[in-house]
Amino acid sequence: MVVKRADIDLSVIGQRRPRLDGPEKVSGRAQFTADINLPGMLVGKILRSRHKHARITKLDTSKAEALPGVRAVITAPDAKGIWATQNEPAICGEVTRYIGEELAAVAAIDEATAVRALELIDVEYEILPSVTTIREALKPDAPQVDPGAPGNIVSDNTDTYGDVEDAFAKADLVFEDKFVSRPTHNLFAEFHACVADFTRPDKLEIWTPTQSSYLFQHSFARAFKLSVNQVRIVHLHTGGAFSGRGSVRPHHYIAALLSRKARRPVKVAASGDEEFLVCRTLGDNQYVLRTAVDRDGRVRAIDVNATLDGGGQGHALGYFGWMVGLCMTWIMDLDAIRFRRQVVLTNQRPNYLGHGGMMIGTNAGLMQQLLRIAKYLGRDPIDMLLQNAIEEGHHGMSGEHFASCGLKECIETVRDASGWNDKYGKLTPTPDGKLRGIGVGIGSMAAGARGAFKHDTSAAMVKVGEDGLVTVFTGIPDMGQGTHTTMAIIAAEVLGIKATDIHVVAGDTDITPVDVGAFAQRGTIMTGNAVKNAAQDARDQLATNAAAALEVDVEQLVFRNGEIFVKDNPEQRLPFSKVSFGSLHSKEGRFVMGRGFYTTPVDYGTAAWSFGAQVAEVEVDPETGDVDLVKVWVAHDCGRAINPLAVEGQIDGQVFSAMSQVLFEECVTDDGQYLNPSRLEYKMPRAYEMPEVEYFLIETNDPYGPFGAKEVGEGPIVVAGGAIAAAVSDALGGFLPEIPMTSYKVWRECTRLSKSPDRSGPEAQSEL
Amino acid sequence: MLLPEHTLLKPVSLDQCLIMLRDLTAGGGERLEKAQLIAGGTDVIFNMRLKFFQPEHLVSVRRVPELQRIEELDDGGLRIGAACRLVDLADDPRIQSRFPAFKQALDAVASAQVRNMGTLGGNVCLETRCWFTNNSEEWRQGRQGCFKTDCEHCHVIPSSTHCHAINNADTPPALMALDAMLTVQSARGSREVPIAEFYRPDGMDHMDLQPDELLTHITVPATRDRNLFMKYTPRKGMDFSLGAIAVRCGGQGERAENIRIVLGSISSAPIVLVEPARVIEADGLGDASIEQAIEQMRDELGEVTNLYGRATYKKQIAKTLVRRALVKIRERV
Repeated sequence: MVVKRADIDLSVIGQRRPRLDGPEKVSGRAQFTADINLPGMLVGKILRSRHKHARITKLDTSKAEALPGVRAVITAPDAKGIWATQNEPAICGEVTRYIGEELAAVAAIDEATAVRALELIDVEYEILPSVTTIREALKPDAPQVDPGAPGNIVSDNTDTYGDVEDAFAKADLVFEDKFVSRPTHNLFAEFHACVADFTRPDKLEIWTPTQSSYLFQHSFARAFKLSVNQVRIVHLHTGGAFSGRGSVRPHHYIAALLSRKARRPVKVAASGDEEFLVCRTLGDNQYVLRTAVDRDGRVRAIDVNATLDGGGQGHALGYFGWMVGLCMTWIMDLDAIRFRRQVVLTNQRPNYLGHGGMMIGTNAGLMQQLLRIAKYLGRDPIDMLLQNAIEEGHHGMSGEHFASCGLKECIETVRDASGWNDKYGKLTPTPDGKLRGIGVGIGSMAAGARGAFKHDTSAAMVKVGEDGLVTVFTGIPDMGQGTHTTMAIIAAEVLGIKATDIHVVAGDTDITPVDVGAFAQRGTIMTGNAVKNAAQDARDQLATNAAAALEVDVEQLVFRNGEIFVKDNPEQRLPFSKVSFGSLHSKEGRFVMGRGFYTTPVDYGTAAWSFGAQVAEVEVDPETGDVDLVKVWVAHDCGRAINPLAVEGQIDGQVFSAMSQVLFEECVTDDGQYLNPSRLEYKMPRAYEMPEVEYFLIETNDPYGPFGAKEVGEGPIVVAGGAIAAAVSDALGGFLPEIPMTSYKVWRECTRLSKSPDRSGPEAQSEL
Repeated sequence: MLLPEHTLLKPVSLDQCLIMLRDLTAGGGERLEKAQLIAGGTDVIFNMRLKFFQPEHLVSVRRVPELQRIEELDDGGLRIGAACRLVDLADDPRIQSRFPAFKQALDAVASAQVRNMGTLGGNVCLETRCWFTNNSEEWRQGRQGCFKTDCEHCHVIPSSTHCHAINNADTPPALMALDAMLTVQSARGSREVPIAEFYRPDGMDHMDLQPDELLTHITVPATRDRNLFMKYTPRKGMDFSLGAIAVRCGGQGERAENIRIVLGSISSAPIVLVEPARVIEADGLGDASIEQAIEQMRDELGEVTNLYGRATYKKQIAKTLVRRALVKIRERV
């Protein structure tokens, strides 16, 4: 259901529209990187470290090089000076820090030859002492993962807003809980893959799934000392990203290095369990959450102390952590907040961000803690959230100004729709003995990436064909979020034509203009505004010619339903295609091309935030610990629903992924090795587990968003994580200190809480 | 992951198949190095990609007509060829009406796609599984070897002298509860083995089957007893179970005669619960008696390990399955 504040006159936006690339995806015609086959292309395979911490004492590739069919073998010296991240070589030369690290690579005429060649590489290791957990890594005499990170601490950053000490001192009560989120994997539908053609010294061409061809272009240019536009990045359809495809990884550089050496195009694609080693996603994250609150329910301050397992690298993790802390300030009117994050190195896979950033973990802890506080104070949690929730016009602690905010409306909507007042505190077990619980979560998400990047620009071009068909050129990738359909709808709205008359050409840096990429929920607001501006530019050009033909002023023209007509006299009209045809065939010979770009108008951070509230209802089987997520009510302030069907699809996906991360997904590790690197053993649920979802799209019409739109790319997942965790907590009557709350852990907590019910109050720590 | 090199042999009769097996395995040695039988391939191909099986020859039984038939016995029992597909058996109305436990177990196997290819013989002979080894060869190089990779070590129980990989197949517990009989043939002759005696609690050597032998038939005798199968999986739909149970029980209501309770997916062989069955036969299927039976089962589970889940939790799952299966069978007419 779309809840409108004020209607504006729109003809294309707001309609429920299937994605434009749907038919090619469901029919199997859609092209992904693995489908690319260039003439003479070789298969690249990577030799990976089998030890979590070891010195490479010998690496002899002579037998592999001599194998017929092998065209190139590369080792660390070939990749000298190429860094995947700040301190991470593209190919490890001396000391390997985790199982799966790249040691060498081969390119051969087929996969069997490449695999055989890897077997012929002679490696000898000197095993070094290792640490595989945060606890081990922080011991005073622990083995060092990186000589440059004393004590295994690679970074320790604290962001503070307001006077934290003062706020905690003045508050009536302080609650503290420990919370852990276990390592996950993004589990894209499309595995990591890269095709590189570096057969010419002055042009490097790359086909790969990515969130940003722009950043990839810059990274490759830097690594290979090329000018930026000597690098061509092509992204085709991309099968999921979830924060996991934002930067160039060793396998990308290796594909390019192999291609350069072999003078042939090379394809590198991860196999099943290799996929789990290559992925950079959430590691073991530990939080101490402290909340200062007054007896009347006012939340004064939040203090989070996070210890994050960076794995063998983890340099980027501390930097992006700032957003996790800020995210908590965008929901409640606090006096102060502190977010400290210490990134610890271990001999594990390097970690980064996962689906939902890192915010599912923090929100699953925070929403449980707020529930605990409300119960202690005898307050209804929803009343307490309404008391603290921010409102439109609010000024945030890091200088944000919330020009639109429907948070309270979202909370009230899900409260009423879910029947909260009849359920909270009144749910009794089902006839077959299942415990029932209901939980609420709230959240906010920035739409835009300013602050993370120096500039946050998106540019777009709109080509109007003489037949009236329109092509939109954009650099933003569609990883499944449907952004290309969104761009078509925005352009169609401006030009007054059908979305199906628009073709989106995306993600080829030789063709498409600059776009920072699909990060930080910037697609709709940044690229959307750029496309809107480009379409407006094209419209203005068409309008000049139409106005002359109709003998009216351009201001009088309306573009609607494939026609251009005079506002006060709709019978005075011209078909859109006739005007574009006429422009080209006029004396001027104008071929209509619109240009547009957009960057955020504010100095720091972004201009718009989405807000959301969700209520989740669960049933818990106390004998098995199974949690059945029965229903989720979702209210999301997306500004405007450009395409309500796509917004609901995004919400579905995020409720699913939040459920998956809160209840199921965990990379089980044993001594530095993943025990479940497969879709069989990594227990991501399937459609059977998907709950019923009821949607409320709250349109607050943001002044900065294109037609008022903000984001729906990551907001709902964070909220859902909090609501589901709180619902399980409500069913069990206690704080669950870890996600995923797998059946085993829920059963264990059920057993513990049935023996000693949780009546803990302020300063009582929950046990880990 | 590529398949190891091999030749594919396609015998067209049972005799030809048995002679092939005899000739290929002559001179001793492990069958897995010489000739591996393949029917649907859903387990064999997977294990070959992981390089657990690297046979010189694959012997396909898909063209052996004797193994594809279901024979109806005079008393209503069924003699089922080992190469009958799981999907065909699950759709067979005789199995649905006569052997609910068997039908439920067939439906529980993996996914529709796997059941379309997989066979009953393949499920009965399913390779044991362990997450300390059950990945690619490259992955396995990241840790010490174990019994599965020709090394005298077990990651599950380091002090153990044998492999603790799990028998995760769904149909064996049901067939054991139904007292099924297996026919095993070789060029040397034919023998009948009760399925309850077919499995051994050793993950590396979990079946009573010689290299030249072939499981040809599974005979399910007629029964009037109530029977059922259940399994517990971390996810709904396709998943290997953390525990499975099959129960067959004579009598009606709380009266129980000739009861058989079999747990699967707990160890390298399905477990027939003896003392709990005795308790139920003596005291019936009342709630108190069921709890008493659950108390009694503890010693019979053997060493429950941390393989695929915490040991304490797997014991809890086993107890819960026993409780729920016994309550449910009590309600059956």
